[in-house]
Amino acid sequence: MNRKLGVYICHCGGNISDYVDVEKVKAAVEHDEGVFLARTTMFACSDATQKEMVEDINANQLDGIVVASCSPKLHLTTFRAVAERAGLNKYNYVHANIREQVSWAHSDNKTGATEKAIHLVKSAIARVRLAESLDPITIPSRKAVAVIGAGISGMRAAIELADMGCPVTLIEREHFVGGRVAQWDLLFTTDQTGKELVTRLYDDIAKRSNIRLLTGAEVIENTGNIGDFTLKVKVTPRYINERCDEGNLQRAIDACPVEVPDDFNFNITTRKAIYHNFPSEYPQYPVIDIKNCTRCGECEKVCGSIDFSQQEKTVEVKAGSVLMATGFDPYNPSEGEFGYLQFDNVVTLPQFKRIIDMCEEKLTFRGKDIHNIAYIYCVGSRQVEAGASSAGGSATDRYEEASRDISGENRYCSRYCCTSVIHSAIETKKRFRAVNNYHFTRGIRTYGKQELLYNESLKMGDIYLQSYENDPPSVIRENGKTTVRINDIMTAGKEISVNADLIVLVTGMVPRSDNRIASLFKLPKGRDNFFNEIHMKLRPVETVIDGVTICGACQGPKNITESVNSSLSAATKSFSYVSKGELELEPIIARVDAALCTWCGKCMEACPFDAVKKVVDGGKEIAAINNSVCKGCGMCLPVCPVNAIDLVAYSDQEMETMINALAEDIK
Amino acid sequence: MAGISTKSARILVFSTEKISDPAIDMAGLLKLHYPPTVYTISVPCSSGIKPAWILHAFEKGFDGVFIAADGSDCTYGESCTVKTGRLVSMTHEIMKEKKLEPARLRMAAICSVCSEAFVKQIKSFNQYLLQMTQS
Amino acid sequence: MAEKIFKDSFDALVIGGGIAGGEAALNLANNGFRVILVEKDLSIGGKMIHLSKVFPTLDCSACITTPKVSEISRHPSITILTGSEVKKIVKRGKNDFEAMVIKHPRYVREEDCTGCQLCEQACPVVVNDQYQYDMVGRKAAYIPFSIASPRVAAIDIENCTLCGACEKACPTKCIDFTQEATEYQLSLRSVIIATGFNLFDPLKIERFGYGKMKNVITSMQMERLLAPTRPYNTVLRPGDGKMPCRLAYVLCTGSRDITVGNPICSQICCMYSIKQAQLLMGALPMADVTIYYINIRSFGKGFEEFYDQAKGMGVNFVKGKIGMISEKEDGDLILRYEDINDNVVKEASHDMVILSVGVVSNPDNAAFFDSGQLRLDPFEFVCQTDLLASPARTSIGGVFVAGTASGPMDIPDSILSAGAASSEAMSYIIRK
Repeated sequence: MNRKLGVYICHCGGNISDYVDVEKVKAAVEHDEGVFLARTTMFACSDATQKEMVEDINANQLDGIVVASCSPKLHLTTFRAVAERAGLNKYNYVHANIREQVSWAHSDNKTGATEKAIHLVKSAIARVRLAESLDPITIPSRKAVAVIGAGISGMRAAIELADMGCPVTLIEREHFVGGRVAQWDLLFTTDQTGKELVTRLYDDIAKRSNIRLLTGAEVIENTGNIGDFTLKVKVTPRYINERCDEGNLQRAIDACPVEVPDDFNFNITTRKAIYHNFPSEYPQYPVIDIKNCTRCGECEKVCGSIDFSQQEKTVEVKAGSVLMATGFDPYNPSEGEFGYLQFDNVVTLPQFKRIIDMCEEKLTFRGKDIHNIAYIYCVGSRQVEAGASSAGGSATDRYEEASRDISGENRYCSRYCCTSVIHSAIETKKRFRAVNNYHFTRGIRTYGKQELLYNESLKMGDIYLQSYENDPPSVIRENGKTTVRINDIMTAGKEISVNADLIVLVTGMVPRSDNRIASLFKLPKGRDNFFNEIHMKLRPVETVIDGVTICGACQGPKNITESVNSSLSAATKSFSYVSKGELELEPIIARVDAALCTWCGKCMEACPFDAVKKVVDGGKEIAAINNSVCKGCGMCLPVCPVNAIDLVAYSDQEMETMINALAEDIK
Repeated sequence: MAGISTKSARILVFSTEKISDPAIDMAGLLKLHYPPTVYTISVPCSSGIKPAWILHAFEKGFDGVFIAADGSDCTYGESCTVKTGRLVSMTHEIMKEKKLEPARLRMAAICSVCSEAFVKQIKSFNQYLLQMTQS
Repeated sequence: MAEKIFKDSFDALVIGGGIAGGEAALNLANNGFRVILVEKDLSIGGKMIHLSKVFPTLDCSACITTPKVSEISRHPSITILTGSEVKKIVKRGKNDFEAMVIKHPRYVREEDCTGCQLCEQACPVVVNDQYQYDMVGRKAAYIPFSIASPRVAAIDIENCTLCGACEKACPTKCIDFTQEATEYQLSLRSVIIATGFNLFDPLKIERFGYGKMKNVITSMQMERLLAPTRPYNTVLRPGDGKMPCRLAYVLCTGSRDITVGNPICSQICCMYSIKQAQLLMGALPMADVTIYYINIRSFGKGFEEFYDQAKGMGVNFVKGKIGMISEKEDGDLILRYEDINDNVVKEASHDMVILSVGVVSNPDNAAFFDSGQLRLDPFEFVCQTDLLASPARTSIGGVFVAGTASGPMDIPDSILSAGAASSEAMSYIIRK
């Protein structure tokens, strides 16, 4: 039992002390049982105060400390480290959250806030009096990382991890690598195309013997935990032998009679049931889309490499950490949204990028020449609450007007689209003759050096118009002509109409609609429904699921450079989980009181991790906990009929003493 | 438990370290106010709360106990919801035996960003408890 | 000129101890590499340690920076040199660099100083405090700022009168006027440039009146007025100490402006201005805050929501470019601007104007290597030679760039960029 305690109450530079009378808190607790010293401090987390704590502990032989400051989510590890530097077991430090849960939550009631702070500090003191010294549980950590998603982020992370000497399994659901970047042509500020970039990375992967690439592979099961994940991966065959003759394969593709919409081109074209997305795509041999294949056998007639006997396989992947790089979906406008699927010359930005990539000399779409292009920005991004937008959409005898409803769940800005569409517009003008670009924006956001691109586009004569908030442009079809109409801020509200041959909806990024991977790993999501990191600045690539890191656009909209920055950061983090071959885990686990236990099996039933086993101890059947499997959730506690199980650091005595302190009257 | 001249009820909240406690933190961050007589004790998972702790809180004079449950977001598995529900109904039974009004124990799933939901729940629970003590 | 010469070798030299350099150093050190971190200033922590709160979470900036700073300063694998400059780096071969670093004298023995501030009290010389952006004074014997790391005194020798008062006051006798510069000759395997950015100097735009009109301040000065370790403990206008109630922000001061030679967007000003506006609404409940903007660029995670929140709180957003600012007798300011919504030139009166100054490059970068080796972009930021696949790579193999040394960036992006730089440095060192 700890008897000589130090208590530190933080001002947080006013964040706490503006609402909580910290001196009063100090006065209220300094005579509590066991408290040897109590201090207030401007910043408990500052280096100087940390040093002071270490000196206090050493000079006075303190055997427990309480820090009352911000949420433990921010600084629990900071103060645990302080305790350890002073030679104190880190579990002899207890935290009281008097900022997020006191000064900020009760900034309307200073007296109430001060009283609550006193209660919380007293309860922390009561708890630390009972705290035990605990040693971490050391478990082995497998030096291997599973990277999920072989888009730009996943490929880049895999290469980096491999170079650090860590074996990688790169798991891609599609049959080809490269993700979204493979679908883009020229990329901003470089003279590289998406294909070239992907090819370069694929070559780098192929050169490294410690990267194992699985394509057509989907994770279907996840068991285990940090240091020891086991993934079951379903691998769909290509139905084509690896060593195949490319010439014959092209003949096989030509021979296939099946035509289905081509999602690589966002369904503006079709492809065969045997296909590759573009020549020399990686891996460099095609695949048979077995769902759409009619098994007519035409391909087999011209090519010996076709093999319908290939079977689906399940592969087991073991890794110490999982790096998630599953990317995004482009926003898919609903039917009629700004005329999408309603008028045949309305396309999305990704479709437009495929169109310019596929056109050779003349810019055409559905057989018609394109000269005037209207770009409608922020489709699917920066949406407003229903009712706030002045939705349109009507049809009269004379004309048909598309819906211009901008309400929806996606409040966020998709960040990449302004630059991306301006870049495409410039490229279009450079490549094709007589193109006029009209941008219907909600304010251009070419941040940083991307501004240069906007300047270039202005110099090339692109026209920029900006709509008022909640008054988006409307798309009207009249006598076969499509017009975009706007009340333009830049000309003080003048109504301006543009006759457009092609309307490009500048669609943003949305989270993947297929959510299976998130539920397999129980990944938390933010308000925007993208995967959420623990803290944007302190722990930007870690998740609350130990051992699982996230990067790229699955975390929120990002451009390529930003995705790669996060991917390399995640690689470093994942590497640090596995590089030493072992990990230290928290010793907060369940423990059984052998004297009380009369084995009924209820705890075993309650445990979600299979951590409870029946053992015989001194001739008596009792429950035993597997220390490296127990996660310390406590699900076994309430089910025990004889109260024989406790959670370390959450014993009945500790909980009750805390409750007592909270219930105590204060003067 | 006399002596405190507040218009709010004393409520003990059991929050969970990874899910509902961050939401309660965020309520503070967003300055969403709630009564300062609401105290939080954080545990790893809401399905690990012992009925004895809840009963102890009533014994010591708390007006209400609120379990800010993990719900389906629980990092320890989907069974959390059912198990938390089970321990709550188990405690309700004991409360009835002890002639304690079962409605003084409430539970709601609070996700890691459900700050507004938390404050709403707590405010209505507070209202309920105040009315109950007055009548 | 240097008396003493030290020789040592490290896996990585990190130039700059701001948030990016610190993060990069920690990543390397936590994976077992030995790092030397060289900081020109007297404290590590960069610009971030001086900020009030950070967008879009409104976390207190010091609360995020100080634990990182103290982790860096305690790390057994990180050696820190503050008040030091990298003079020259030569690449001798793969994984083999040689660097010359000069540590300027502090005239205080760091290891003996307890930060008691008695020298500060004794010193009779008062000069402008650069860490409070000249809004208050400090002594010539001084601790840079309250949360500095190391939190030890320094003597500002240029302003010191050598009166000796500090020496007499110092209880540990750690003031030493005989200190001289120390030279370090370092042998290194990789280099990370994290030299950060400079703020645009608003004196270059005369028509905004900065330097002449007292109630025109920069956003960094406002940042200090709002910070927990602020100079006046409240927001006051510097002209007469009045509590301001009609504040105006002039966005794009020195950014997106070809007339000052900086056509690019600084990427952070919209958001920090929106953040300050929210904090001001809290600090001065009666005040009106107007933000004059060209475009609001709230592009990052949670930014658009943060912008909406500011609108909801009543921050007034005016799409308009400021033509000029003039001063009235009472110190109030008249802003002449083009209101784009109405397409007319208007005037508005405010009692305090904050210039949201932009990001420009740090000229130090050009001097580390022999001319031309380290390629810079047209704005003299470090050029990212493989922007898409390896954003941290520079024109010299083994030299990586982290944070705003390569261009404007906010804090989360700087941290991720530092993650990328340290990751590339690690695999560069391991690959050999």
